[in-house]
Amino acid sequence: MDTPSLVMSKDINSYFEGLLKKVHGLYIIQITDRDGAPVMRVSQDKNVDFTLTPSFISTFTTASDQAGKLGLGRNKTIISMYSNYQVVQMNKLPLILTFVGSENCNTGHILALEHQLDAYLEDMRLAVSES
Amino acid sequence: MEQQLEKALNEINSQPDTVGCLITNRQGLCLGAAGKINPKMSGIGMALSEQACKLEPNLNPPTIVLYSGNKRCIIQKDGEITGVIYKESSSN
Repeated sequence: MDTPSLVMSKDINSYFEGLLKKVHGLYIIQITDRDGAPVMRVSQDKNVDFTLTPSFISTFTTASDQAGKLGLGRNKTIISMYSNYQVVQMNKLPLILTFVGSENCNTGHILALEHQLDAYLEDMRLAVSES
Repeated sequence: MEQQLEKALNEINSQPDTVGCLITNRQGLCLGAAGKINPKMSGIGMALSEQACKLEPNLNPPTIVLYSGNKRCIIQKDGEITGVIYKESSSN
């Protein structure tokens, strides 16, 4: 029989997979800690493995820290538009959320997911901060 | 720069029963909002209009009206931009 934590992680995984299908053009939702260690990742059949390169998350962390020095308050989100992809990264320390979608994916819809995710992130946040 | 947009939004918002309105771009990012409406709604409004367009791809984008009690949410896509209007009737 599955342990309660395993049941919970399956629930969270299926919830994120559902989200991935809801947003048209979204390829990946990835949750990592601030150093880039993966906590969870759901993806569609699309080769976008660049989000797993070690420098990817740590560069965001640095950029977010620097953006916080602009005097506009703590940086929450960075949206990067590329010719073929768009990357939305959210600072939810100790977690970093990374969304990768196509260049014409609905950015506003991705941003609107933020408050829906908070409840699901709470347990992961505790797990990461304890380790 | 966005004075004209704000003027248009305020004009829409001054119509009878209207409580809030916003305009969003192709990416679902809010270009402007007026009245009682959450600008974060822009992405979902845009997604709804995109999905509704798929029902009849060869026709012009439809006007979507969502009814909820005495409230209505009207969504209309026009080219690159989509408008969302919240209306609330004082009586049912």
